[in-house]
Amino acid sequence: MTAILDLHGISKAYAGKPALRGLSLSVDRGAYVSMLGSSGSGKSTLLRIIAGFERPDAGDIRVDGRSVLGVGAHERGIGFVFQNFALFPHMTVFENVAFGLRHRVRGALRAEQEIRRRVEAMLDMVGLGGLGGRAIGQISGGQKQRVALARTLVTDPAIILLDEPLGALDANLRERMMVELRRIHRQLGITFLHVTGNEQEALAMGDRLTVLDNGAVAQLAEPDAVYNRPASARVARFLNCYNIFEGRIEDGRFRRDGLSLPCPKGAPRRAAEASYCVRFDRITIAEPGSAQPDEAAITARFVASEYDGPTITYFFAPPNGKAVEVEYHLSHHRPEEFAVDREYLLRWPAEDALVYA
Amino acid sequence: MNSLGNANTGSIDERGPMSELGAARGAPRATTPFAAALLAVPGILWMVLFLLGPLLMIVYVSFWTQKTFTIESTLTLKSWIFFFSSQTYLSALLTTLRIWLIVLVATFVVGYPVALYIGLFIRNKTIQTIVLVICVVPFWTSFLIRVLAWRPMLGTEGAVNLLLMKLGVISAPIDVLLFTEFSVIIGMTQIYVVFMVGPIAFMLSRIDHSLIEAARDLGAGTWRIFRTIIFPLSLPGVVTGAIFVSVMVLGEFATSAELSGRKVNMLGNIIVTQVGSLKWAFAAVAGVILTVLMGLVIAGLLRVVNLRKEL
Amino acid sequence: MQNQPVLRTLLMLYTGLFIVFLYGPFVVLTILSFQSGPEGGPQFPIIEWSTYWYRHLFGLTPPSRVAPLPIGRALVLSLSLSFMTMVTSTVLGTMTAQAFRSRFKGSGIVFYLIVLGMMVPGVLVGLGVALVSTQFGIPRNWWGTAFVAHVVYTFPFAFLVMLAIFNRFDRSVEEAAWSLGVSPITTFRKVTFPLIFPGVLSAMLFAFTLSYDEFPRTLFAAGPDLTLPLAIYGTFSVEIHPNVFAFGVLTTLFSFSLLAVYGILMMLSVRRAKQVAIQEEIR
Repeated sequence: MTAILDLHGISKAYAGKPALRGLSLSVDRGAYVSMLGSSGSGKSTLLRIIAGFERPDAGDIRVDGRSVLGVGAHERGIGFVFQNFALFPHMTVFENVAFGLRHRVRGALRAEQEIRRRVEAMLDMVGLGGLGGRAIGQISGGQKQRVALARTLVTDPAIILLDEPLGALDANLRERMMVELRRIHRQLGITFLHVTGNEQEALAMGDRLTVLDNGAVAQLAEPDAVYNRPASARVARFLNCYNIFEGRIEDGRFRRDGLSLPCPKGAPRRAAEASYCVRFDRITIAEPGSAQPDEAAITARFVASEYDGPTITYFFAPPNGKAVEVEYHLSHHRPEEFAVDREYLLRWPAEDALVYA
Repeated sequence: MNSLGNANTGSIDERGPMSELGAARGAPRATTPFAAALLAVPGILWMVLFLLGPLLMIVYVSFWTQKTFTIESTLTLKSWIFFFSSQTYLSALLTTLRIWLIVLVATFVVGYPVALYIGLFIRNKTIQTIVLVICVVPFWTSFLIRVLAWRPMLGTEGAVNLLLMKLGVISAPIDVLLFTEFSVIIGMTQIYVVFMVGPIAFMLSRIDHSLIEAARDLGAGTWRIFRTIIFPLSLPGVVTGAIFVSVMVLGEFATSAELSGRKVNMLGNIIVTQVGSLKWAFAAVAGVILTVLMGLVIAGLLRVVNLRKEL
Repeated sequence: MQNQPVLRTLLMLYTGLFIVFLYGPFVVLTILSFQSGPEGGPQFPIIEWSTYWYRHLFGLTPPSRVAPLPIGRALVLSLSLSFMTMVTSTVLGTMTAQAFRSRFKGSGIVFYLIVLGMMVPGVLVGLGVALVSTQFGIPRNWWGTAFVAHVVYTFPFAFLVMLAIFNRFDRSVEEAAWSLGVSPITTFRKVTFPLIFPGVLSAMLFAFTLSYDEFPRTLFAAGPDLTLPLAIYGTFSVEIHPNVFAFGVLTTLFSFSLLAVYGILMMLSVRRAKQVAIQEEIR
């Protein structure tokens, strides 16, 4: 299966500061790829370069096998959904969606009936049936999002790029739109490239998850692979669900300021600098002194807890270093009461930790 | 997932350098920069042909030979020598300089307190804008009408004299008010003072009031605060205003002619009269001198404050 | 500085006086325009309040010693010249501002070249144009040399206005149009232009007003043709009568109303250009 999008060595710098460093990526036809990156990771820049709004300093972009470097944005057949929707304020919903069909360079439709048929079918598909006559100022944020989507989908692009499409929506709406996007993707089979800074969104949306860090791809894998086995400590940090300790490895143990933790199998026996990561939900809270031989453990003071619905997060303060978080899924654990400022033992199987050196 | 110290959720647009620099920098690249620049060509051509061309012509012609009613392209320094050896024309140069300086100082002295009031003492932005608009609006009416309007004000039977006599301040009309250099200066000050008030008020309105409060807390008196904080921060506005006023005043001729009864001659007047008698080369000399003068003034003013940095 | 009541009051009073200073002459001029005629002169006292001089302007009074202002033809000429200038400088200004949306080599120099047109005093531009036309045998008239000098003056203003409009313009709508397969030219026609149109209108009005009142350049460049300002200037050396005052009042009212329309349009266009950016308001 040929990749529908191929990026080779894309580099871009602004005023001497590199935003993208030799980034390479392949997106398969019909896939839903999400891209996670923090601010400054270059994710929006990358999207804009793919779309043709910016030129890369170096590298090549191939769509369906042919290079589009130097090709205008209007000739690439790549759709774009903007974070601020970028709807045409002087046109109705219908006119917005019909715009591409009416005025595009290749294959503009003249027959009003055909345009009407397609636009209304698309409005129905995104759940905006009957709202064609509304002005842009009269619809809600979620509806604007759908118009933006419909407007681009109706032109049948090879790929759709979504730049933080759910960023401007509230949490409830975001959940619903995530479901909608997946449904539309399944129905139409168009390739989606969805960029976001929100790790939950990135994990939930894609068949594949690309983690962008510092202008390059830090990991590209299925979401659960990334979640369970982040490729580096930095990726682990983006996922926002790992406790990360910085220190060194000596004699097969991780050491830092009085901490001494056993390393999982396969970790180096010695390293001057290393990161030790353990996921929030891998830790068990127990009474001090109850450590088992093949487990890692630290003692910490209980600080506070936070109830999130299906999970509770407990915050502990170890003697030095930042807070350690423990997450209990309420399907596996009963909620427990812990005494503030009391010391507890946080323990986990040594094999559950991830070490990067 | 958790709310402790992590800003990764739903981060909004991270366009980085682009959002800072706005349209000028991150402009959409559907067309190459070259194609975009083509759009500027007609405008550039117009300015080169109809602005640069004429200006260069002035310099060139200033070296031509002046016959009685025509000029010939034989190059000579005669007109230049004539200008600098003639009392009338040298005094016109001096008059221009003198009036420029006086009007500059006058617009500064008259306008600064107003700018101070508008920029520092009016906190409500809307009212600030309204008062500024009130001050600026007269500028947009016909310039000649504004010059003209001074005639009934300043004459011996004019409004000012009548008012002063009615109030008993004077017993006989002051006739130095009209048809003298003084009237020219009053007229020009009123017409151009707006250019001082605007930029200065703008700079003053940008001063962070907490600076002033902090200084006060440290025990500084009003005059000290003005001298060390307010005035220096307003300097870019003063320089901008000074440049505007200078350019306008140096190029003046209508106000000086009308309000002085043709007695006061500035370089602009020289140009007008010389052109009227078809003494082109001579007018061109005056024109070049005016340009040089202007260049020097602007360069000098720009030295006072590095405007680029401040604005 | 709020807690300086004495200083504040002083400055406020001063500003009040200042505004009187600014408007005083015009107020006096207005009062005197209601002088009775044709015997009444351009000074106090007002013999009798009347609209004589206004009627005199329009030729509605019996002939008197005071010659009517040649405003009929001059008005038509001024309007035509200003109209032509308005259209040309706005087109040039918009095109050039559009060019400036991408950084091209030498854009700095071009910027200064254009701004030079509004900085160089009219007397110099006028002289230069007159020189060029004399030497090359080009006749000076309102639609040739004067027109050209007017555009040199107003084009930079239109350019700066459009630059400001484009600066506030959120390009994402244009990018959206391109991503839909629409060419840049069609995008400009169907998306950009409708959104910047109020700004274009305001630039046009601005250019019109500037050209309408323009005087020094026209003095040198118009040849035998008289624009309205030139007609007024013609009365300067002659004895003035209140008809000039009446004319001044009317022309000022006209400028004011143009300015008011301009102000409203500028507001509208800035609002429209920002409309796109605030679309993410939910609910």
